[in-house]
Amino acid sequence: MTTTYPFEADSVDDALTAVGTPAVRIDGLDKISGAAQFVDDLDFGPDLLHGAVVESPHAYARIVSIDTSAAEAAPGVVKVITGEDFPYNFGMYMEDRYIFAQHHVRFVGEQVAGVIARTHRQAVRAAKLVEVEYEVLEPLLDPKEAVAEDAPLIHPNLGDYAHVPWFFPKADTNIAHWRKIRKGDTEKAFAEADYVLEDTYRVPRYAHCAIEPHVTVGKLDHAGRLTVWTASQSPHTQRHLFAEALAPLGFAHKDVRVITPYVGGGFGGKAGVSMEIIGAAMATAVKGHPVKLRFTREQEFYNTYQRQGVVAELKVGVMNNGTITAVEHKLYWDAGAYVEYGANVVNAAGLSATGPYRVPNISNDSLCVYTNLPPGGPYRGFGYSEFHFGLESHMDRIAEAIGMDPVDFRRKNAIVEGDELSYGGHMNPSGMIEAIDKTAAAIEWGVDEESKNPNTIMGKGVALFWKAPAMPPNASSASFLKFNEDGSVNVSVSGMELGQGYLTVMAQIAAEILGLPVEMVRVETPDTDRNPYEWQTVASHVTWSSGLAVEKAAIEARAKIFEVIHEVYGFEDETLYLEDQKVKCTTDPEFAKPLREFVIDGIQTDDGTWRGGPIIASGKFMPEFTNANSDPETGQGGHPNVHYTVGACGVLIEIDKETGRIWVRKAALAVDAGKAINPDLVKGQITGGLVQGLATVLYEDMRFDDDGRLMNPNFTDYKIPTSFDIPDEMIPIIVEVPQPDGPFGARGVGEHTMIAAAPVIANAVYNALGVRIKSMPITQEKIALAVTDRHHN
Amino acid sequence: MIAHEFAYERPTTLEEATRVLTEHSGSVRLLAGGTDLVAWLRDDAVAPDLVVDIKAIPGLDTIELDGDELHVGSLVTFTDLIESEVVAEHAPLLIEMAETVASPGIRNRATMVGNICSAVPSCDAGPVLMAYDTTVHLIGPGGARSVSIDDWFIGLRETACSDDEVVTHLTLALRPHGGVYVKLMRYGGEDLAQAAVGIVEYPGHEYRVAFGAVAPTPIRAHRIEEVLRGKPLGEEVIADAVALVRDEISPITDMRATAEYRARMCEVMLERGLAASHERLEGAGPAYGTRLI
Repeated sequence: MTTTYPFEADSVDDALTAVGTPAVRIDGLDKISGAAQFVDDLDFGPDLLHGAVVESPHAYARIVSIDTSAAEAAPGVVKVITGEDFPYNFGMYMEDRYIFAQHHVRFVGEQVAGVIARTHRQAVRAAKLVEVEYEVLEPLLDPKEAVAEDAPLIHPNLGDYAHVPWFFPKADTNIAHWRKIRKGDTEKAFAEADYVLEDTYRVPRYAHCAIEPHVTVGKLDHAGRLTVWTASQSPHTQRHLFAEALAPLGFAHKDVRVITPYVGGGFGGKAGVSMEIIGAAMATAVKGHPVKLRFTREQEFYNTYQRQGVVAELKVGVMNNGTITAVEHKLYWDAGAYVEYGANVVNAAGLSATGPYRVPNISNDSLCVYTNLPPGGPYRGFGYSEFHFGLESHMDRIAEAIGMDPVDFRRKNAIVEGDELSYGGHMNPSGMIEAIDKTAAAIEWGVDEESKNPNTIMGKGVALFWKAPAMPPNASSASFLKFNEDGSVNVSVSGMELGQGYLTVMAQIAAEILGLPVEMVRVETPDTDRNPYEWQTVASHVTWSSGLAVEKAAIEARAKIFEVIHEVYGFEDETLYLEDQKVKCTTDPEFAKPLREFVIDGIQTDDGTWRGGPIIASGKFMPEFTNANSDPETGQGGHPNVHYTVGACGVLIEIDKETGRIWVRKAALAVDAGKAINPDLVKGQITGGLVQGLATVLYEDMRFDDDGRLMNPNFTDYKIPTSFDIPDEMIPIIVEVPQPDGPFGARGVGEHTMIAAAPVIANAVYNALGVRIKSMPITQEKIALAVTDRHHN
Repeated sequence: MIAHEFAYERPTTLEEATRVLTEHSGSVRLLAGGTDLVAWLRDDAVAPDLVVDIKAIPGLDTIELDGDELHVGSLVTFTDLIESEVVAEHAPLLIEMAETVASPGIRNRATMVGNICSAVPSCDAGPVLMAYDTTVHLIGPGGARSVSIDDWFIGLRETACSDDEVVTHLTLALRPHGGVYVKLMRYGGEDLAQAAVGIVEYPGHEYRVAFGAVAPTPIRAHRIEEVLRGKPLGEEVIADAVALVRDEISPITDMRATAEYRARMCEVMLERGLAASHERLEGAGPAYGTRLI
């Protein structure tokens, strides 16, 4: 290990009382009782106005003129706004997105104008009256066509966009970012390899399908304060982007406030800023009135973020003994019309496109390509699910070609602690081998299963996964902690409860340090005015990063408690400890001072005066060992990733040989959580991630027509699994090889659990039928036709 | 949200309903369960000037056995069918079909008659009602009339019902039988049929076969019925029937499936479906409601 960690948890594992327990989630009662409020539940009174969006019907067109007069004259209309009113661009990592289209529209559904009216119906009716004249242009819908030398430019001013220093846009092309990794000598390695396999894999776009669509309410009050209520994973980042994008209107960050109540699922789709900028802009146009913009399910599909599609060209070389010697991975991402967030997906994938293997010679090219499709962006897995499909399919094929068992092949090459990473850093401690072995055992790898049904056949598959949080090198978390009169605690953080159990885990960490039952800790959803900074709830990093901030705040509070005890009773700090809501002392077994007696009011001394006072504390965490600076041509030199989480997945499936229908009879997934702060919640992540991942490979299929229009922005034709479509049996396996810098050794697991689902099905289908499907999704139709084709050939 | 305006009438008798329909000159839509209509209104797929809600008309929501006939009123929902003991005993295929329609919430509202009035190619009720020798009964300005289900579907979303008529009920001719409704769906949850087949075998080796979602309307497979007529089912007879599938259907490629997959699956569904209906006729086979694919 070359990485040094600045901070290590101080608790002793076997003494834990809150961490590591399946504590009941603290948002549970809110949600099952209906007390939990979501943005659309909030009451804004009779002054509330409603917004509707005028959308582009074209994938690529020049705006010739916009006539808003008929809409402005329509009943109930208060204001109609267009790009002329907001000539600003913005973006998370690259400022290439516009509040309203400026001169051009670049995807079907892009916002061209906004109508604000007394009622939602009036706004929708008036939006139909806005007349936009377009000069229709030929859209680019395929990333391979868009990177061709003579392709028309979707963003002619790409060279002018501000962006983070680790992006390398190629001006006068459609390549918004090109992440390169060059390590060793791949040419020589391929020449010397005993076997080289080269192929192309295709992954389409996907939608997040959170149960709650995006909704934003903005209000600019008469004193100039802008408050925005959002369904968001990123309240502070939203505040920052609103303040930056709307800075010409005179906002300072202190004047912008984002309040984010409970969120009905995110999966990455509610990270950053997408439609929320429209709602914020609308609010600035009607001072004094709150304005609600609530997306329909259709808009949710086509004008928030989509998971990007990718064409993956993969070449892997191995020796006959099974050693992988070289990987060349070219990823052409269909990043869509605006890549302000999606380009970092491309970056993350490029850094890690070898997968969880020890590879001495690497050549990765991850290209972020503009297309005239909806903006790509973050989605659970952040690029890793996409490239793992081809990579883990490829690993099975190579193992077969050299006559090795696929599990043995992976075991031999799996990355372990200290192995060199593609960018030159070293792998953190990880339990990959344990994960492989436990997964293989869970699905009885090596034991052939016979189907009792003559129409069906059984198959087994395995796949590995890894993922690192993709964050700016200085992404940070902070927390406030305060005691109440009864010894209960409020913890303030700005991570989001997305259903993953974040609030509960933060409560468990604070409870552990402070010797409290978890029920004595309240953690709530944030308000950027009152809660301390959190970068975003993305990247599977909040248990780790926000958890460290909470741990530090709790340690600080504990120190303050010990300080007042020391001052009044004279016990040395190192003899004191917290247990059962009391301060106790190792040298005086009789001493047990209840927290409730002094954490607000202090302790009265013999002379009648008081010591102490309200116990309050704060904590923050920033990964100070990370930097994103690297050579653009080789990717060497930096330390962009804080750590990787690894794991393995295995399935037993049954396939109808004629219809192609797949039943997942058993799915096992092992993930190295470092330390499961709450094992039940980790299991929830495993089962939820598995189901979501299986859906992307078995059912979901975003379909665009030749004009770039999404044909299935609905659940009639975009299928997400129901209770009939989940595996018969799911076996969650928690591996715990501690992360040295994690809170109690924890690292994130949220996204990782869906990454291996696609290739594991591809491999099991091959195992059952001998048919290799190289494009997602692997629908029953695709299987049935492939089987038929094989018989015909 | 429905953005455009329309007039709404809620007649309480059939006479009033036909009067409203006859007197109205613009475009009109009948509202029963509304599960298609409301979605179409929301999507601006239809824009009627008038919506006539027939739910307040008494007597249209009954299921009755009348000798050898089963009457199903036009307000009978799919849930009503599923929960009906009469249907379970005499026309169990209706339940097997109804259980594949959408989800419980939709089935609580959606009517079977509405399903054949919407007349989309994937309409689940179509193939089953064809297999059950169904008659559609209507009332209009000229009085009552009836139409065989075989003459009901005219084209894509087009039926024999004219703008001033209301369907009152269906009658199904009941005989001892075994049957299946096999529906190809993209997953285990609720879905529109990618392709479907309704099959009934009556004693004496008489068969009914009708397909859904592989033509502009549900279609009766007369040639297949003909080749099967009078013959006990065996591998060879079934193979002869399966060989005719591609002559009977005219599937298209769309977002839900390719024409080739639809055709191939119609063959598979017919093969498995014939075997299962025969077993059911003999009192064996998989219980009604068991998915065959």
